[in-house]
Amino acid sequence: MITDDELCRKVIEVLAQEFELDPEEMVPEATLYDDLGLDSLDAVDMVVVLEKTFGMKVTDEAALRSIRTVDDLMQFVIRLRAEQSRA
Amino acid sequence: MKTDVVVIGSGISGLTAATLLALAGKDVVIVERRNLFGGSIRRFKRNGVGFDVGFHYTGCLGDGEILDLLWKRCGVRDRVEVDPVFPDGYDQYEFFGGNTVVRGYFSYARVGEELKSCFPGEKAGIDSYLREIRDVCSQVPFYNPDLPLAPFLRGYKSRPRPLASFLDSVTTDPELRSVLAAPAFLYGVPLNQCSLETHALVAHGYYSGAYTVKGGGQTVVDGFLAALEKAGAKLLSSSKAVSIRVDGDRVAGVEIEDGKCIACSDVIFSGHPSSVPGMVPDSVFRPAYRKRLLTLKNSLSMFAVFGTAEKDFRVQANGLNYYLLPEGGEMLSADDSTPPALRSMMIASTGGEWPEFKPSLRNGIIILRPGFWEDVKAFAVSRPGNRAAGYEKFKAEVGAEMVETAEKRWGHFTGRIEPFAVGTPLTFRDELAAPGGCVYGAMHCLDQFTPDVRTRLPGLYLAGQSTLMTGVVGASIGGMTAAGEIVGLEPFWESLRSWC
Ligand SMILES: Cc1cc2nc3c(=O)[nH]c(=O)nc-3n(C[C@H](O)[C@H](O)[C@H](O)COP(=O)(O)OP(=O)(O)OC[C@H]3O[C@@H](n4cnc5c(N)ncnc54)[C@H](O)[C@@H]3O)c2cc1C
Repeated sequence: MITDDELCRKVIEVLAQEFELDPEEMVPEATLYDDLGLDSLDAVDMVVVLEKTFGMKVTDEAALRSIRTVDDLMQFVIRLRAEQSRA
Repeated sequence: MKTDVVVIGSGISGLTAATLLALAGKDVVIVERRNLFGGSIRRFKRNGVGFDVGFHYTGCLGDGEILDLLWKRCGVRDRVEVDPVFPDGYDQYEFFGGNTVVRGYFSYARVGEELKSCFPGEKAGIDSYLREIRDVCSQVPFYNPDLPLAPFLRGYKSRPRPLASFLDSVTTDPELRSVLAAPAFLYGVPLNQCSLETHALVAHGYYSGAYTVKGGGQTVVDGFLAALEKAGAKLLSSSKAVSIRVDGDRVAGVEIEDGKCIACSDVIFSGHPSSVPGMVPDSVFRPAYRKRLLTLKNSLSMFAVFGTAEKDFRVQANGLNYYLLPEGGEMLSADDSTPPALRSMMIASTGGEWPEFKPSLRNGIIILRPGFWEDVKAFAVSRPGNRAAGYEKFKAEVGAEMVETAEKRWGHFTGRIEPFAVGTPLTFRDELAAPGGCVYGAMHCLDQFTPDVRTRLPGLYLAGQSTLMTGVVGASIGGMTAAGEIVGLEPFWESLRSWC
């Protein structure tokens, strides 16, 4: 299994590609909506991309909705992977 | 040419959206690729008999229900004669080998009684199934117009639950399970992919009362065409939209295949969403969204036999539609590995109200059976009038087998059946511009997010059965929502609710 750091790098790489974002701007404190210009319509695509790329299932949508920054997203993905690899 | 809104596609969703917008004061142009309007609910005529393809019955036409509201607001309700086929009306379910016959009444109370009398050991499960269907729908504004619309469309939705495991929790009886799952025929999803939520939306319409329209889908189309004309909308047939012009960051117009361009500030696309990425500049959508539209999983297709019956179905039989279900199997098989002859089948009488009918030709019938793209894949590279070798033979064989099975099973009320035309997934692909011949658009199922009505391109909206829900009701709701997004969702919903 890849480390959490590698996972985060991969998440950045995939999101940059799929959402045409500049990886340089995807610093931990950057907000998805204001800084990166994503909007609520992108949220579903984000779930689809995460699920397809990492084979995880995003079920906790309340947690998903509370994500504001790149760092929130990384913590969310790390937690999800830990939960689902345990299951 | 210049207008406010171009609506691409004239199926029930496009017609609904266009009429609502025209009535809200917008200049509207509908463009339709075919020479006739109506999409899936248009009737076609063969040997003097009118055949409905995509409209046999619907729910939600009771006073104040969503389709009734929409048709009243559009000025269509008065132009059609609606026939409520309940409380005595029902669909009949039979099984390949067995003797069980179950009537699926179009009424919660009666279907509950019937199921309990057919499956006396399953009373508690039947009650909890029906309760769950109702509960799910009570939270949905389209079924409960007192609720606001925006929170439902934009708000938090929990992940859909699998229908199969829910059914397991209410019964272990394979026949009851099949009957409860049967409405899946009306949205084209195999049981292993059905979600309880989608199932509830469709089944609720069914258990709350079914309606037919005199003269079938064509009278609905004609009603909308008259309403559109009155409201000053323009309709262009034989006009395939090939691209959507973008100026700055907003929609600016629609280009038609013949080179014409219609300038506009809003576009509603009501066909299959997978065509949309090819119609806009690549830079408009993010790769993730583009990919999602292009790789949507689609609902099942069908084989269809259109013909006449020797006896008048509607006089001889009491049920509306008759379903034959595989023994203990699924209403819709999971894939094409189940041979066509072992799949479920449905027979319905189709129309008959056209004045020019010769009496001997009146008993139009349609037989439907689930089909998969894989069934006809070998003939894929062909167009109507120019099919690959072997296709006619394949089609004739499938049709003959369906007729034979139908006569054996239902011959007592149909007499001999004479087929006029056979449709396959290829036919549906080409007639309805439906990828893979899918008859219900993108699949509303577990593990797939169907696209939202709004898109990231300002001024571009999706409508149609692939967005919110399928069927005549679902597609109409898609059309209504797209119109609402353009004029302001919540005030629009309020004004619709207060219409009657
Ligand atoms: C065999 C069958 C039986 C059915 N039975 C029932 C039933 O009994 N009850 C029920 O409620 N539902 C039924 N349905 C489903 C129902 O018919 C559909 O869900 C509904 O009619 C879909 O409406 P729509 O407007 O979304 O799409 P459509 O009716 O498919 O309309 C889309 C229109 O867009 C046009 N179009 C597409 N691309 C372009 C383009 N680029 N430019 C211009 N025009 C374009 C197409 O030609 C078409 O006319 C059935 C469907 C089938 C096929």
